[in-house]
Amino acid sequence: MRKIFRIYKPFTHAGILLAAQYRVNFIFFLLGDILMCFINYFLWRAVFNSGGAQTFMGFSEADMVSYIFISFLTSTLAYSDGSYAVGEEIRDGSVVMRMIKPIRFDLAFLFQELGERVISIAIVFLPLVAGVEVFRFFATGAVQFNIVRFLLYLLSLILAYLINFYINVCYGYSAFVLKNLWGSNLLKNIIIGFLAGSTIPLAFMPPVLSEILRILPFASLTYTPVMIYIGKYDLVQILISFGLQIVWLAFFIFLQQVIWNACVKRLSAQGG
Amino acid sequence: MIYVNNLKKEFKKTIKEPGLKGSLKSFIKPKNEIITAVNDVSFHVPRGEVLGFIGPNGAGKSTVIKMLTGILTPTSGSCEINGKIPYKNRKSYVREIGVVFGQRTQLWWDLALRETYTVLKEIYEVDDKAFKERMAFLNEVLELEEFITSPVRTLSLGQRMRADIAASLLHSPKVLFLDEPTIGLDVVVKDNIRQAVKTINENEQTTVILTTHDLQDVENLCDRIVMIDKGSKIFDGNIAELKKKYGQSREMKFIPTDFEAAGKLDYKGEFKLTDDDIEIENDGHNVAVRFNSDKVSVEKILNYTLSHTHVKDINVSDADIEEIIKGIYRSEVKVDA
Amino acid sequence: MKIFKKLHRVFKLHRIFIKQDLKRLMEYKIDFATGAVGMLLAQGVNIVFLSIIFSQIPALDGWKYEEILFIYGFALLPKAIDHLFTDNLWAIAYFIIRKGDFDKYLTRPVSTLFAVTVEKFQVDAFGELFVGLLLFGISIPHISLNINPLNIFLFIIAMIFATLIYTGIKLITASIAFWIKRSGSITYMFYMVNEFSKYPTTIYNRVVGAIVTYIIPFAFTAFFPASYFIAGGNPWYNIGGTVVAGTVLMAVGILVWNKGVSAYESAGS
Repeated sequence: MRKIFRIYKPFTHAGILLAAQYRVNFIFFLLGDILMCFINYFLWRAVFNSGGAQTFMGFSEADMVSYIFISFLTSTLAYSDGSYAVGEEIRDGSVVMRMIKPIRFDLAFLFQELGERVISIAIVFLPLVAGVEVFRFFATGAVQFNIVRFLLYLLSLILAYLINFYINVCYGYSAFVLKNLWGSNLLKNIIIGFLAGSTIPLAFMPPVLSEILRILPFASLTYTPVMIYIGKYDLVQILISFGLQIVWLAFFIFLQQVIWNACVKRLSAQGG
Repeated sequence: MIYVNNLKKEFKKTIKEPGLKGSLKSFIKPKNEIITAVNDVSFHVPRGEVLGFIGPNGAGKSTVIKMLTGILTPTSGSCEINGKIPYKNRKSYVREIGVVFGQRTQLWWDLALRETYTVLKEIYEVDDKAFKERMAFLNEVLELEEFITSPVRTLSLGQRMRADIAASLLHSPKVLFLDEPTIGLDVVVKDNIRQAVKTINENEQTTVILTTHDLQDVENLCDRIVMIDKGSKIFDGNIAELKKKYGQSREMKFIPTDFEAAGKLDYKGEFKLTDDDIEIENDGHNVAVRFNSDKVSVEKILNYTLSHTHVKDINVSDADIEEIIKGIYRSEVKVDA
Repeated sequence: MKIFKKLHRVFKLHRIFIKQDLKRLMEYKIDFATGAVGMLLAQGVNIVFLSIIFSQIPALDGWKYEEILFIYGFALLPKAIDHLFTDNLWAIAYFIIRKGDFDKYLTRPVSTLFAVTVEKFQVDAFGELFVGLLLFGISIPHISLNINPLNIFLFIIAMIFATLIYTGIKLITASIAFWIKRSGSITYMFYMVNEFSKYPTTIYNRVVGAIVTYIIPFAFTAFFPASYFIAGGNPWYNIGGTVVAGTVLMAVGILVWNKGVSAYESAGS
């Protein structure tokens, strides 16, 4: 384990430098995305004002607001653009350079992206969590922050990121087939965003659909961590969802390895 | 035709301090540094002349060209071409000029080449008849026929350059600006392009201003040279003048029958020359003697050589322009502009 | 007559580039199809979201489901038109200026803004256009619209100037790149404000409402004009506001653009 960190540390370092260089841009992009959260916030406030009921399909207004902001935080932190990076390398042929180096393709990308993440975590994490907690305090009149749930959330978030990373790497390999990843990438992001519950809580969907979506890997990306954070899951549900996250992570690591081996075989047979 | 007076261009550059703190500081209160890219450059080009603009990398050639073509606004000084000021009357001015940047194409990457010309025809409002004639002419000079239906992105560098030059000439400009038109091309294509530029210049009295690093371009095409270095003009004149001013040197090369005897020749002592005026190189096959013909005549050098040693072959030549310019770039030759 | 000649030239150039973009589309059929489906789905997801909300409440802040759909559809149309014709401004903000590729536009005897925008015809916009019209088709039978020649005229005016609001905001923020080389993230941030226009401005609090009405006036691209057609109101404010905002933003945009062009520093040698 320590050896892995030593070998891949330079990638993390490069990632941090890269992100530091673009941090002003990053902040503007982030502000643009936070605007979307506020639209949802106002929309839900109007919904609660119009409905007259205290809860909407089992969610109180405080739950809903927490859901909006924590799901934004989760999808921002668990975001991975591995598919783009992998796709680009495949298209311009530099993927061959990866094959002649004694390092693992996926880990090199992973550690670089972790480095880039450091900056975004530094910028968004505290303000968002603090904001949500202050809001929950005023909305409910009591401190809602629970350190155990918060730590469980962090664990689930890390698993969510890793699953998302490997899904994206697997998807990036489609650059071997498609000429231009832009269109399908958009499609993928929307589908995953929807299935992961970042637009609408999965609990709002028809029961059967909602059950199926919860088992699929996408729920592990946003919905699971958020539900843990806002305290909608009990201990049994939390254990089950951790189990699911680990199973899916193992599955995608395995799938990534299989595709990569097939690609290496193909590349060495065709000479790129 | 073209008048350039005391042209000057300064760029502001933000100094970034290292580290997160430094960049935060420069984000809030940026520290600027002024860089003078072009300083007090003046020259005049009469109609129909081909002017070569040379200088080492980063000398400010492209900045001058960009000011003359209306892309950049000068910090001070003025330029006037065909009675127009490029950055003030841009739209009507650029109608009368053609511009080619060798490093980047101005054609539309995805359009078929033929379509590109149709677009340019509309943009420059060339009428149908003139367009047809012009295309036939350009076709003949630049041989576009073989790739005119291909998309620009599929053209080779040489084809692309020909296509770019044709595009710049479609509207029969009075002045043609070529920024490194032969960069990265093979010898045959280079020659092809030089011929084309020459033809256009001779047929239509088009004034041509070109920057280049290829001194063949200069020797084959240019009537005159303006040389700049570090933003300032250091030479202005024709090639003969350049050679006369900096190139009094001649080179005598010979193959001696006896290298030992040849090695004993003492030109420096015989003619009382300093190291500045003579240089001898003996590589074991050839002996090369480069000397200043103002200080000692060719005849004397030849006589001295032939009377003291036997040679298989001998010849005397002008130092080539490449050597001269290399010397100026390296500031070996003292310049006084 | 000169103006006709000029218009003719503009149309002809547009036609060449449109033809070219359609050709490219044929070349990358699958990519286009996935992109278009993506665009459709992105809007579709939001519609599903709205219908889930309305399955629980009868009206949102006094607006019924079909009225919200009408406003939503109204918001998509000017966005799509702007997207279709001026998408290259994003490239200005992201890389054209930084790489020095703006040089070529300056050597052409047409306005730089026209030269930049005519180059790209963004077919992806058909996704938004389609959804917008579809939402009109779904919602109009269920709401009481007062359709008369004056209102049709006002509708067209509103569409034109709402599009100019989009273009103006993109133009101003993209022009910043002339000074700082890369302004894509700024353009993105301001552009995202348009999402506020999909819902009635009355659901926002006073500060946010004022921002999207007076400062980044996307409210005039959809909610104000659309609510005039649904609920009536003062056309001088609801439609006139769109005209004023579109005119002002476009004028400021052109001004900043021109200032930017003379401050342009090109790149490299």
